[in-house]
Amino acid sequence: MSAVVEAPGARVAESPAHRASFGSLLRSEAHRFRSRRFIQVLLILAVVGWVVATVIGLLNYGTPDDGDLADAQARLDQIVAEQLMYRDQCLEDASIPDGTSPEEWCGPAPTADDFGGPEAFLDKAPFDFGEAGKDGALGVAALTAALAVAMGATWIGAEWSSRTIVALLFWVPRRLQVMGAKLAVLIGAAALFGVLAQAAWLATAGVWEAAVGGPDPLPEDFWSELLQTQGRGVLLVVLAAVLAFGLTNVVRNTGAALGIAFVYTAIVENIVRALRPHWEPWLLTSNALGLVQHGGYTITYWADGPIGPDGQPPEYYLGPLQSGVYLGAVAVVLASVGAVLFAKRDIH
Amino acid sequence: MPAVQLTAVSKSYRRRGRPPQKALDDLDLLVESGGVHGFLGPNGSGKTTTIRVLLGLVSADAGGGEIRLLDQPVPSGLPDVIGSVGALVETPLFFPGFSGRLNLQLLAEAAGVSKARVEECLELVDLTSRADDRFKGYSLGMKQRLGIAAALLKAPRLLILDEPSNGLDPAGIRDVRELIRRLGRDGHTTVLLSSHLLAEIQQVCDSVSILARGRCVASGPVDEVLASRGSGDVLVQIADPATAAGVLQGAGFSVSPADGALMVHSVATPSDITRVLAGSGLYLEELRRVTPDLESAFLAITGDQPHDGPTAAGTPA
Repeated sequence: MSAVVEAPGARVAESPAHRASFGSLLRSEAHRFRSRRFIQVLLILAVVGWVVATVIGLLNYGTPDDGDLADAQARLDQIVAEQLMYRDQCLEDASIPDGTSPEEWCGPAPTADDFGGPEAFLDKAPFDFGEAGKDGALGVAALTAALAVAMGATWIGAEWSSRTIVALLFWVPRRLQVMGAKLAVLIGAAALFGVLAQAAWLATAGVWEAAVGGPDPLPEDFWSELLQTQGRGVLLVVLAAVLAFGLTNVVRNTGAALGIAFVYTAIVENIVRALRPHWEPWLLTSNALGLVQHGGYTITYWADGPIGPDGQPPEYYLGPLQSGVYLGAVAVVLASVGAVLFAKRDIH
Repeated sequence: MPAVQLTAVSKSYRRRGRPPQKALDDLDLLVESGGVHGFLGPNGSGKTTTIRVLLGLVSADAGGGEIRLLDQPVPSGLPDVIGSVGALVETPLFFPGFSGRLNLQLLAEAAGVSKARVEECLELVDLTSRADDRFKGYSLGMKQRLGIAAALLKAPRLLILDEPSNGLDPAGIRDVRELIRRLGRDGHTTVLLSSHLLAEIQQVCDSVSILARGRCVASGPVDEVLASRGSGDVLVQIADPATAAGVLQGAGFSVSPADGALMVHSVATPSDITRVLAGSGLYLEELRRVTPDLESAFLAITGDQPHDGPTAAGTPA
């Protein structure tokens, strides 16, 4: 360490006092975010996963020729004929109870539509963007939200495990400013991640549609509904990241926070659904589905049995607005609790 | 303008099921600008709590007490002066997966410090060649040097170093000592140095404060603090110590043998010894006042007893 002795000290005296602005803090946090190995690995895996999924789709979808359609029609006809034969045997059965007609006992005669038409019997069906578009966006949102949970938890958890957040306070003593910068960078990154993931889904669907797409035109309002679903999917990704950030900031440990999240989703929610089905509107994953899924999520209380003149069990409708407000409130509360504890408590 | 000023500052930690623990008890501390100020105290005396209070990491008890850092009140004025304060508190805190250079660059970016300054500080602590290695691969000494580099990034007017020599090899300790000395003399930097290496404090520091049980029990220039703890003992080297001991005892001195010499206790005027012995035809080979080193003074002040007696480190009479 001889350089310590040899290095000039005069420059030390010349430099002015430095003052951190929120902008410079944001730039520093953004630099740290993109320098994280976890984020870099996540992005590489995401690109690899996207390529693999696209290739798998290309291999599993296909454009049928006349021969394929004829084979599918033949298999469908065979199955319908077999079902009709079984029904005929049923109609001739002597054990049909008195007072019940043979048609009621054996059901209506099966038709080709009951089996999904000849398309259901194709080895490689064409990709139907009109049918799969919104479901795909929902699936991508769910996967991205799960990754955003890990992103949000490790983002602040790494600070607490290395205690670098304490060192940062030697530079920026306003604690809420520090926490605000970290949260702002996370929200921006999660939103970008969500948008990129949904764009990747559109790109995948575009490739499939062009290469192995079917002849059916897109339904009316398709793009409007799809983009709305994708927009809500991006919101879910942001909320998931903030929830994980807030929880980890409260417990100050990534492993503990992810453990709590796992136990909650895998155990607590299932127990609640089984034992207290009427509490389901308060569950986070139900609200996540209600937020993103086109048309929201309808909870059916099967355990209550048929009620009312139509003989249907009662239902509860979770709309995107209600679910979004609820998830947003939970995220804000968790993030606020963590931030306030950080601002008020002594730090050792 | 004092660099650090604490007046009647207290801090108690709440403990579940037990009475609060008082870490600082009406602490008064004054560190004048310029030079190197040593900060001493046994474990649990409140040194680190004091540093944490100064940096706003820990809040002092409400009511009474005033804390000023570079003439700004803490914590309200801390954002105005933090750009002039560098700190290394206990262990250096960095992201283990990032390189030393990236860790410093992130801090520099947050405060608007130039990249050139990062390279200067890496050079200053001799880490340039290892700057791109990950922090988690650094030795303890390298981590400590990176912590010092981070504290120097802002070219601080006040540099707070808590045990900066931890983990350093002897050459590293010497180099850090030289760096601290040089910073203390540059006319710009005040160094507040907390260390358990009492010899280091004695060698490097211009002034010192000693804490015990959350209070400042001694403070001032190192020489004055040591002198205030002087016992008045005088070491006498003479050819015939047995005869000299008898003469001195006869003259009313309290004398004890000390490795072939004599230790004369509680002497107000050492020249009296010269006069008495010369009057009996005995002539001195050496006469020097015994002053305690910082370790002895520290142990005496903080209430512990030194394991060995005070060493004869005074200047020859």
